[in-house]
Amino acid sequence: MTPVIELRNVTKAFGSGTARPNAVLEQINLSIEGHEFASIVGPSGCGKSTLLRIMMGLTTPTDGEVYYRGKPVKDVIEGMAMVFQTFALFPWLTVLQNIEIGLQGRKISDDAKRKRSLKLVEIMGLEGFEEAYPRELSGGMKQRVGLARALVSDPEVLLMDEPFSSLDPLTATHLREEVLDLWLNPEVSPGSVVMVTHNVEEAVYMADRIIVLTHRPGTIIKEVHIDLPRPRNPRSPELYRVVDEITGMIA
Amino acid sequence: MSQMIGLLEVLEDFNGRVDVAKVADDLLLELDDLLPAVDAAELLGFLKVDSGDLILTDEGKRFLSRGSSGRKRMLNRILSKTPIFKFVITFIKQHEEAETTKDDVIDFIRREMPDLEAETTFRWLVEWGRYALLLRYDSNSGKIKVVQPTTAQPTASQEGKPQ
Repeated sequence: MTPVIELRNVTKAFGSGTARPNAVLEQINLSIEGHEFASIVGPSGCGKSTLLRIMMGLTTPTDGEVYYRGKPVKDVIEGMAMVFQTFALFPWLTVLQNIEIGLQGRKISDDAKRKRSLKLVEIMGLEGFEEAYPRELSGGMKQRVGLARALVSDPEVLLMDEPFSSLDPLTATHLREEVLDLWLNPEVSPGSVVMVTHNVEEAVYMADRIIVLTHRPGTIIKEVHIDLPRPRNPRSPELYRVVDEITGMIA
Repeated sequence: MSQMIGLLEVLEDFNGRVDVAKVADDLLLELDDLLPAVDAAELLGFLKVDSGDLILTDEGKRFLSRGSSGRKRMLNRILSKTPIFKFVITFIKQHEEAETTKDDVIDFIRREMPDLEAETTFRWLVEWGRYALLLRYDSNSGKIKVVQPTTAQPTASQEGKPQ
């Protein structure tokens, strides 16, 4: 089967063509399959976020090719949506309007956009907050809006860049659970999820496969398949064994 | 809100009973940071505190087993019986169309509940009131409104956890 996303020999360097190009990613070969939850982990500065931006077509690689369903990527891909660490909501728009932004440019009627956005309001537990502005929301609620905006366009791939890092630990616990529920919910499920995180426990708790990057320039040192049955207990010894193994590779 | 649900989920991972210091330790949190969530969950009857242990109640387990609409329904029922919500909702309902202004509610809190910090209490009421579909608030106009029961009840079909 053709992978959903495929990166072949992808290299990214800033200031290429100068005497001292600064390589961020080097020789990345990676495929994302349909129906998988993949996580990219590595120390800060290993190019994880750049890798995500390249997958989505937001940044072009210096060298190498990116394919989406077997076709070369030339522009931002419609079938993907991104969730950001800092939520990236528009402060002057309400919750409902922020979600509708996720449908901008889609050729559907305003009525259909409103209907689909309200569906996401319901699924994300945001009923009652439709008219609220981001400044009135807690971090957890803001990231719910971020998820709703990403999922409203029914993406095939959901990309998440450190989605829980700016939340307090209790809220992060809760939202991880919610994201796993969403992934299993046929009404909204993106086929695949790619999550970038520096938190190894979080990756092992959530993902089917972990791609481990080294420090700059980022290269893949290992891919680990996580076969632990779901639902997983984040505090089980089996889980910690895998966490220790992966942490050892990065440290 | 999200913190409280997160805390209940952590309790569930520990089979429903765990020392509060262990939770703080596990999450790399100070005890102080944990307390607002503990207080909220205790107020709602979702957990009990017993000699340093946090215990998930049956009501708390029921809450966790519901999807978001079901959780809102439970909170709607529980919060509308708490003295502070009862008190404030009765006050707002005295106005035409069960709607008044933020300033009006703040004055009411200052007058009737002088021990509470009025602005903080107002923000808390709005956050929980919105979540539980008890209150609607428009920060542009400063208008706050009591949601009438007919619109507050999600239909039964939406109650199950989406799986």
